[in-house]
Amino acid sequence: MKLYDYILSPSCYKVRLLAALLGIPLELRAVDFHPGGEHRKPELLALNPAGSIPILEDGELRLTESAAMLVYLASLTSPDWLGRDTAAEAARTEQWLSFAQRLTASLGGARLCEMLLRPGDLAALQAAGIAALRELEAALFAQRLHGEDFLVAGRPTIADIACFPYVALAPDGSVSLDPYPSIRLWLRAIRALPGFIEMPGIHRLHELKPEPVHGAEGEPA
Amino acid sequence: MTTGAMRDEWYPVGLRSKVDAGGQQTMLMGEQIRLRETPGGAVAVETADGRALPVVVGHGHVWTSLGQPTRPLFAIPEADQPGRRLVEVGVVRVRCSPLRAVENFLDIAHFPFVHTDILGAEPHTEVERYEVEIREKEDEVWATKVRFYQPQAAKSASGGITTDYMYRVPAPTCSVLYKTCPARPGEWDVITLFVQPLTEELCDVWPWMALYDDVTPMTDLIHFQQMIFLQDRSILENQIPRRLPLDPGMEIPTRADLTSVAYRRWLKRHNYTYGAQLVAQ
Amino acid sequence: MPVALSSDIPPATVIPLQTPSGPMALWRSASGRLSMSADRCPHRGMRLSHGFVRGEALSCIYHGWSYSQDGHCLRIPAHPDLEPPAAIRVATATVCETGGVVWLALAQTESQPPRFSHHTPLRSLAFAAAPTAILVALNGRASADGSMQGELAGLSVILLCAPQPDGTSMVHVLAPSDATLEERLAISSATEALRRTAETALATEAAA
Ligand SMILES: N[C@H](CCC(=O)N[C@@H](CS)C(=O)NCC(=O)O)C(=O)O
Ligand code: FES
Ligand SMILES: [Fe+2]
Repeated sequence: MKLYDYILSPSCYKVRLLAALLGIPLELRAVDFHPGGEHRKPELLALNPAGSIPILEDGELRLTESAAMLVYLASLTSPDWLGRDTAAEAARTEQWLSFAQRLTASLGGARLCEMLLRPGDLAALQAAGIAALRELEAALFAQRLHGEDFLVAGRPTIADIACFPYVALAPDGSVSLDPYPSIRLWLRAIRALPGFIEMPGIHRLHELKPEPVHGAEGEPA
Repeated sequence: MTTGAMRDEWYPVGLRSKVDAGGQQTMLMGEQIRLRETPGGAVAVETADGRALPVVVGHGHVWTSLGQPTRPLFAIPEADQPGRRLVEVGVVRVRCSPLRAVENFLDIAHFPFVHTDILGAEPHTEVERYEVEIREKEDEVWATKVRFYQPQAAKSASGGITTDYMYRVPAPTCSVLYKTCPARPGEWDVITLFVQPLTEELCDVWPWMALYDDVTPMTDLIHFQQMIFLQDRSILENQIPRRLPLDPGMEIPTRADLTSVAYRRWLKRHNYTYGAQLVAQ
Repeated sequence: MPVALSSDIPPATVIPLQTPSGPMALWRSASGRLSMSADRCPHRGMRLSHGFVRGEALSCIYHGWSYSQDGHCLRIPAHPDLEPPAAIRVATATVCETGGVVWLALAQTESQPPRFSHHTPLRSLAFAAAPTAILVALNGRASADGSMQGELAGLSVILLCAPQPDGTSMVHVLAPSDATLEERLAISSATEALRRTAETALATEAAA
């Protein structure tokens, strides 16, 4: 399975992250998004006329929406990650997959302005991002009252993976995460999942590893 | 706010390869400036009120100054050696002091915590003694004999190695590092950080590299460096105060921070204080 | 001053707070002890709330220096053999936890934080409005201890407002201890509505 990937793209990271959590190997093809703008050049436009990444290819199948890629990876190996146990759960999962597009447009847009100097109305993007974060916080708080740590269930699903990257990276677009206690706990729960991988801007949870005992380190391998 | 002695220095303001006749707008030390390619193929830079600024092209970038530079742009002779690949990493904006961005680049002790499993990893956190000097003739800060254990020192590295480093500060917002070259033992890879001060608390950072690596695709080289720098960005945007404190007492250095200590001392000696905080607040 | 709800800070976590004495890091050790320190590492100024809690110490994310509950530096990873000098310490503040609310002692004070016998904490949320505007929107009563009483979703609530340096407020909502799950959810939604009212009033005022 081949992913057209960019290390700084939260949308590409969604796919890398779920693949890592599910133990699915990916062949990565790096796309020179910045500064090269390769995603808008002929070779990539031929694969995705929309000019966006990620693009996932598996045999005959070619996908250009990260949400569809998450569905595909989960369907292949781990249907419980699909969040479809009941009619209501399936619908709520879809709802969050759509919500994730709002995060891409708002928080993702602010991040591109602030970090990679993309033109855009930064204040409007940030305001839309804050509105989305408030919705997410309220929903995650309701989940906590129900005793569930994740967006649609007590277990993680593709809904969580779809929303996680742009939320975790909101500070890259100068949108603070400080006022959202339930979001903070949810981000942490995802970062603590076995097999979790980081992307730049999201640090390792060093506390998951015990503090090294000095004197016992021996020679570097 | 005063630009002080830093006004007469050269600053990177764009990738040479990206400047065309259409031109581009940017900012230097609080002033709007415009870059464009002239019909003759040179690059011209001017301020909003039409004042032409000095221009030099070097190390892949366009350099300019609001003042009158008294020295030519610093040289990086190693980067001119044949067979190196020159990597234009592109710009990243950071809400921090330009001086804090350089100081972070001079630091190795953060590798295990910020660049985990790439440039460092616990338990290999120890910073061995190294040498630091201000070279009076060149008027540059140098750190040599710096060694650190790295799980993946470069895109071309496979497995952990102890990497040797040398650091050099040839200008107040620029640093050049030389590190063990996995592909060609005996040579040094050249990795630079050129910082464009937009204001005292905002900068555009232009990493650039001259590497011996014939194997790794160019895009992967760019992404490796972007990954490293973006890991630093979230640190740089969260240091308090935003400006670099030059007076001792505000922050506490240890032996591992000797390069930073020398850099701060050198800045202070030259009155390079744009982006610095002088009195502890 | 109320700063956080106990349930939002489980063992081995750290959170950022804005207080009148500046940005602070509130952290709970693995064994459950709560501490507060300045949100600035004495080494290079990194915000400690971005750090991590291992065992009984708070570590900085930048170079891994770790600090005890009383603020002393315990470990400098770059110099594993060095006993950190006693002079290296981060400023601390006194916090206490009662009834599921974490309070910061603003000055040397003998007085205990208020106790609420019939209410328990629900959630905290930020309002882009000052406490006075929130009280008006709530149409409630302010008590001498700084709390506000009112009704949300037809139920009695207590709001603890912590004004932030940027003019916003962190609001800690307390619900009746015997409220059902549905009632708690209803209060949570009603608080969101209250926020819209308080923030709209502010915007209308600004426009006038
Ligand atoms: N198709 C959407 C798009 C994801 C997206 O916005 N990708 C960004 C990179 S993170 C992109 O390609 N943007 C194109 C551009 O900004 O030129 C998805 O897969 O979720
Ligand atoms: S800034 Fe905290 S350990 Fe260096
Ligand atoms: Fe770094």
